[in-house]
Amino acid sequence: MSEFLGYERDDGSVGIRNNVVVMSTAPYANDTVKRTAEIVDDAIPITHPLGRCQTKPDVFQTYRTLLGYATHPNTYGAVIIAHAGEIVDGDELAGDVADTGRPSASINIHDEKGVMNALKAAVNEAQTMVRDASEQKRVASDMSKLTFGINCATSDTTSGLCQHKATAGAAWRLIDDHGGRAMFAETPEFFGGESELAERAVNDEVKQEILDRVERWDQRLQATGYDVRGAQPTPDNMDGGLTTIEEKSLGALVKSGDGPIQDIVDYGEKVPDGAGMYIMDTPGHGAESVTGIGAAGAHFMIISTGQGHALSNAVMPTIKVTGNPNSAERVPEETDVDVSEALVGDEAFDWATDQLWDEIEDVVNGKLTMSEALGESQFAIHRIGPST
Amino acid sequence: MPDRYLQVVEPTDNVATALRELDAGEPVTVAVGGEERDVEVQADVEFGHKIALEDLAAGETIIKYGKSIGNASQDITAGEWVHVHNVESNYGRGDLADDDQVQAVSE
Repeated sequence: MSEFLGYERDDGSVGIRNNVVVMSTAPYANDTVKRTAEIVDDAIPITHPLGRCQTKPDVFQTYRTLLGYATHPNTYGAVIIAHAGEIVDGDELAGDVADTGRPSASINIHDEKGVMNALKAAVNEAQTMVRDASEQKRVASDMSKLTFGINCATSDTTSGLCQHKATAGAAWRLIDDHGGRAMFAETPEFFGGESELAERAVNDEVKQEILDRVERWDQRLQATGYDVRGAQPTPDNMDGGLTTIEEKSLGALVKSGDGPIQDIVDYGEKVPDGAGMYIMDTPGHGAESVTGIGAAGAHFMIISTGQGHALSNAVMPTIKVTGNPNSAERVPEETDVDVSEALVGDEAFDWATDQLWDEIEDVVNGKLTMSEALGESQFAIHRIGPST
Repeated sequence: MPDRYLQVVEPTDNVATALRELDAGEPVTVAVGGEERDVEVQADVEFGHKIALEDLAAGETIIKYGKSIGNASQDITAGEWVHVHNVESNYGRGDLADDDQVQAVSE
């Protein structure tokens, strides 16, 4: 298959879903967002604790992340709800969304004279959008349009031995055979494997940038004055047999395969069209790294998990793959693809890649993932500095 | 025949990952590169956890994927369970950082 059925956007991107998002720019609009989404079937609420009293690096990052979701390939249109005048400006955000050709609306609780009026206005806008979105048909689109996110979740020692190999196989199939893009993240989970990773960079500048960013994370963690163990690896990683962050990292890097790295980008930053593997500089905290990759416009995300995980995203479907037979049995509702036969049975890793690829083809054409069917999702923007 | 449920990634590794539960006292044969290594399991080991393939002195590098995953924090004998109680990491060690590198954080 070199084509899939997707939703074409005016900006040239193609979605695998046709979401209407309702989004807050500050915490004081979160309840109005949630209430809007409770009333309007199919509207996706996006809430967060940020967007106010932040310093500029965080303002840029919060804005970039929110705009990434409001203009995601899988997003049809966006209703932006602001509380009052904020440093993350609702009108500006809605304007940037409209510039991509997507329907957008900006609602300000202060200007509407209260949450009741704002709720009514938001419901009216979202209702119109979901009805309009329902009329759009999927059309045949080229697979080169797709960007593939990759993330670990509750890694254990099976991750690097099995499921990450299937994940890498599928990612490089999209890149090499179909001209698509893939992106992985979680910079502290390069500790111990950074030299070999940096050697894969397409040029010396990218190589040095990878090494610098890894070093910066180690310095940030050292500055806490504490041993990072417990945060990395996490208690559930250690339950699964992972002893140090180095061991976790060396396993984690298996999911990126061994091909060239085009670039390492900032949190939530988009990558250029064209084939290739990219890194996003994020923490290893899954909710934050997955949120960042989603903001970059990844169409779907492979969650390559050891012990099983509820990690998921409302805009970017997550396909969960495990090679740990105990996890597949323990949490079947969090297992889209079980490739454990390649670890403890008689199947080859090529078989595991094929299993995952078949599921990917189904999901990009509309099959719901386990998390989508359960309505599971998290949204957590990584923050850089303090509130002020 | 080496036990297929004891996996060694690279020939230079000095630990093996157990893909089944191991019993204390159990003799196992592990494939390490083209060779076979016989060790006696020293304690019950859970699925996914590691055993040492050789005697390792305190401070020695623990190798998996052909790379360092940390150092032995105490002497480890062949067949012993290798985990957080006897291995320490070389990254994110704020507890070992100089005072001038550390920002004040209350416990």
